Amino acid sequence: MPPGLELIGLRRRFGDVVALDDVSFEVDEGTLVGFVGPNGAGKTTAMRVTLGVLQPDAGEVRWRGRAVDRIARRRFGYIPEERGLYPKMRVLEQLVYLARLHGVDRAAARTSAEEILETLAVADRSRDRVETLSLGNQQRVQLAAALVHRPDVLVLDEPFSGLDPVGTDVLVDVLRRERRERGVAVVFSSHQLELVERICDRVVMIVRGRIVADGTIEDLRASRTRRLVRVEVVGAPDRWYESIPGVRLDGEGSGALALELADGADEQRVLDLARSVGEVRHFSRIRPTLSELFREVASA
Amino acid sequence: MSERAPSDRGTWRLVASREFWVRIRDKGFLISTSITVAVLSVFIVLRAYGGGVGSFDLGWVGDGALAERAAAIGQRSGVDVTARSLPDGDAAEAALRDGSVDAVVIGNVQDVRDGTAIVRVVSGIPAQLDQLVQAAAIGLRIDGALADADVPATTVEELENQHPVAASPIEVPDPDRPAKASVAFVSVLLLYGQLFGYGLWVATGVIEEKSSRVVEVLLSAIRPRQLLAGKIAGIGVLGLLQLIVIAAFAITLATVTGAIEIPAATLWAAALTVGWFVLAFAFYASLFAAAGALVSRMEELQNVIVPINLIVFASFLISIGALQDPGSTMAVVASLLPMSSALAMPVRIVLGSATAWQIALSLVIVIVSTALLIPLAGRVYAGAVLRTGAKVRIRDAWRAAA
Repeated sequence: MPPGLELIGLRRRFGDVVALDDVSFEVDEGTLVGFVGPNGAGKTTAMRVTLGVLQPDAGEVRWRGRAVDRIARRRFGYIPEERGLYPKMRVLEQLVYLARLHGVDRAAARTSAEEILETLAVADRSRDRVETLSLGNQQRVQLAAALVHRPDVLVLDEPFSGLDPVGTDVLVDVLRRERRERGVAVVFSSHQLELVERICDRVVMIVRGRIVADGTIEDLRASRTRRLVRVEVVGAPDRWYESIPGVRLDGEGSGALALELADGADEQRVLDLARSVGEVRHFSRIRPTLSELFREVASA
Repeated sequence: MSERAPSDRGTWRLVASREFWVRIRDKGFLISTSITVAVLSVFIVLRAYGGGVGSFDLGWVGDGALAERAAAIGQRSGVDVTARSLPDGDAAEAALRDGSVDAVVIGNVQDVRDGTAIVRVVSGIPAQLDQLVQAAAIGLRIDGALADADVPATTVEELENQHPVAASPIEVPDPDRPAKASVAFVSVLLLYGQLFGYGLWVATGVIEEKSSRVVEVLLSAIRPRQLLAGKIAGIGVLGLLQLIVIAAFAITLATVTGAIEIPAATLWAAALTVGWFVLAFAFYASLFAAAGALVSRMEELQNVIVPINLIVFASFLISIGALQDPGSTMAVVASLLPMSSALAMPVRIVLGSATAWQIALSLVIVIVSTALLIPLAGRVYAGAVLRTGAKVRIRDAWRAAA
């Protein structure tokens, strides 16, 4: 498969602050990539560099194997961190204008804008000025602005922030459809990690300007250094597990224990011991959520 | 989805078209046009019907000798006095009150000689008319005295009909000079209003995009310079169109009301005004745009445009001064400098003071300096327009766009 969007060795400093430190990752066509990291980690900077509104000190952005220029970026759609539309311009008029700035002709721009407003359930507001819309509807129009020229690449900075659950569902549907039907490469940043875990094909994690994880959720889980098991034993003495070297209590709640197993500690031995000291009601590996992985990586 | 050829050269036209159409529908545009038209109409109508200097209506009650004599003297010295008969004192008062006469002389020749004739006025008599009436009265008395001394009436008439003592000017005066000065004054006023008003519109337009953050969406699709060029072009075309409409309206109104005494000079002045607006607007709009890009909120705009405002206003004042003395050193210098030539040069041209080489030099200077200024201002704009928050220093903006 040919490469889709590639960020290659991006570096950017703001004074003494290193915002991007050799950032590289890819977003293939037809994939949905979640871009996560703590506040100030460099997500927005990386996205602004991708869209060309900020110049990197080093590195480049490629699309389908070629360095992107302004013409190539006409096929990109963007929601910036700081939302922005002309407040006094009418919704439809504004979308048509933005589509035309991306090189779409007038008739096609209008058809596309009307379709997208329909999809996003704001078609009834198309004659209204943007400033008269609720924040949620403005957010939908902002998304429409990113989609109206039918881009091949979507770069969305916190697209879910400020959306209610219904708006979130609409946006998820739209992103999935764009990916499925048009093979769009989508990268979006978010702090809603459950959502990222649920909808993304891949996750890229950035901390202090460096990419610290990049892969599917399963990849991330597999690469994790900590192993945890959840054990629920009835009738066992306190701290029964301490007789096995390398086993440590990580937490407990509702009658179950979370045990962390160091390298070399065999989970089957733990199970055997548990059975010997009491009645085992539950024994499982703990599959870390993205939030847990995130906390581990971010605090490392 | 249909797409154009992969070039974005025409993008600035899309921007210009949006600027034009959004603003032509703006209430502010409608209001500013209406105010300009109203002010101009008042000026023209006042000029047409204000009576002006050197044109009087003089009524008379009695034998009319004094009024006729005053009119005759006026005619010889280039003052237009229309004498007309009124039946009595009440009619005279009514005519004075409704403004159809400036003064009414009451009395016969004998009353003039006796010193009992009077000039009836509303509250005061124009000095020029007063001088004519007094001279006519003296003339009538001398006539009487000469007749008493048996000097033949033909000799008296001969003496009176001799040419007045003519003024012999060192410089040949232009009889149209006052009219031309009025036309030039209106041109300067209009140009000043357009340059300042539309330049300010460019600055506020830049800030509007910055403060609403839409600029980041725009600049993910187009280059800063395309956005800048489109904005200046769109607003400039609107300003030009408004100027042409106002000029056409003013000329039509002035022609209809008879306020224009020199159609050729007026049309020439209108053409100069429009032409110089194009040049000067490009110059000032790039300054206003760069200044606007340095700040993020409308409240901060005043701080950054003060220097530009001062330059525009000083140019305006100097140009008004040039109406009096278009050949002064200051007027000549102002008509050559790029920031003030648009206001000062049309004045000097209309008044006939500018030489051909000065006009040519002035054009070259404004075109060259605008061509140099646009990329500089464009760079400051590009370096500053995406930086929100605190005011951006020009030096930082310059470096950021490197």
